[in-house]
Amino acid sequence: MQSESSSGQLVLYWAIVIIPLAWGVYHTVINALKLFS
Amino acid sequence: MSSLSILDRERTVAPPGFNRWLVPPAALCIHLCIGEVYAFSVFNLPLTKLIGLTKAGPGDWSLADVGWIFSVAILFLGLASAFSGAWLDRAGPRKAMTVAALCFGGGFIVASFGISLHSLPLVFLGYGVLGGCGLGIGYISPVRTLMTWFPDRPGMATGLAIMGFGGGAMIASPLSVLLMHHFASATDLGVAPTFVTLGIVYAVFMLIGAALVRVPAVNWRPAGYVPAATQSRLVTNNHVEISTAVRTPQFYLLWAVLFLNVTAGIGVISQASPMIQEMFHGTVTPLAAAGFVGLLSLFNMGGRFVWASTSDMIGRKNTYFVFFLLGLLLYASVPSIARLGSVAGFVLAYGIILSMYGGGFATIPAYLKDLFGTRYVGAIHGRLLTAWSAAGVLGPVLVDYIRQYQISSGVDKADAYSVTMYIMAGLLLLGAICNYLVSPVDTRFHESSAAPAE
Repeated sequence: MQSESSSGQLVLYWAIVIIPLAWGVYHTVINALKLFS
Repeated sequence: MSSLSILDRERTVAPPGFNRWLVPPAALCIHLCIGEVYAFSVFNLPLTKLIGLTKAGPGDWSLADVGWIFSVAILFLGLASAFSGAWLDRAGPRKAMTVAALCFGGGFIVASFGISLHSLPLVFLGYGVLGGCGLGIGYISPVRTLMTWFPDRPGMATGLAIMGFGGGAMIASPLSVLLMHHFASATDLGVAPTFVTLGIVYAVFMLIGAALVRVPAVNWRPAGYVPAATQSRLVTNNHVEISTAVRTPQFYLLWAVLFLNVTAGIGVISQASPMIQEMFHGTVTPLAAAGFVGLLSLFNMGGRFVWASTSDMIGRKNTYFVFFLLGLLLYASVPSIARLGSVAGFVLAYGIILSMYGGGFATIPAYLKDLFGTRYVGAIHGRLLTAWSAAGVLGPVLVDYIRQYQISSGVDKADAYSVTMYIMAGLLLLGAICNYLVSPVDTRFHESSAAPAE
């Protein structure tokens, strides 16, 4: 039954939160690398 | 008023066939925003130079004054979650998330007026009181909603939402710096317009979450899910009402478990940058220390999801035993690792400690659900979060006070943290004892079967 929702909707909903989170993680990792440089 | 009915719980009930994986993004929309509070320190220095611009001028706020903004927000987070929990359970997630969005976003706007008028009480009122209420209301509701959608994996579900809270700081920190650079001019540091922008962006993002959220229909179960016939003694299928739950010893033991786990971690977070620089004097630069803080926030975020998901497999009580006993060993060994001069070992030890700090937050809602059932878990979780407020005050004070005492007693700065580490290890031992004492809630506390269904 759960597969009835469109996969497009699923991708859109998750993209709304994953994109800003990935941006934040990217900046954090770049900063963290300075610890070992 | 009828247009407001779209916020009612009844209007958020999901239709048959609704995919439950559409709900975690709604929860994350809230937690990714309110997690901003962990990055508030990026405003500390600019707020002390609003008049002097390049350095603190006459009439500028002191760092100590500004530090209270964060403390007031965390205090009101605890108070709002404690007092609004029962209402949140009745009102449903959409109404709660909308109120949280208006409070949190509005708090930034009110605080921006305080910054423009250089009125610290107005900043306290805006970000601290109003924003703090938004934090408290916004924290519980998504967690409780996800638990009802994922009865088969409650730890993973709560871990997912609360991981967003950890991730929120990672977004807020570079975003705030970016906005302040954008709005800065020769006569203004750009803090007030940054607050206005953040207030609007966060309110909109949180309202998107409120629009997307759904609750399952009564008696809905995931396809193929059958509650285990034999499960841990600690897990109940009954419900304990909020006013009854706070009369049980289990509530206070879990309060102590959360309090001790958070106290041990939060003290380190607040002192992470100076600590690594002083323990590895001459080796770790301020820039590298900032990298260390960033790395800790990654472990903090990842631990929320990983440990809470693990608790679905090994049980909540065992998960907390790992937190306390492994944490104790790591804290006790950190001074030796530092003496060996191993930066990598030091970073790894603290990374694991911080993963368990985050894991403690993420696992506690599922622990409460196991003991008290799902019906009132939002309200009970709200009351338990007062432990976070208490730890938020005690943890940093403990680390700071002990360090100062050591230095004034003639101990070298590099060794001044050793006693603190051993005290943290002691706190974790106390936590392990409290966790050991947790037993199933007596059946006399269970709600009668005549009570209304969820």
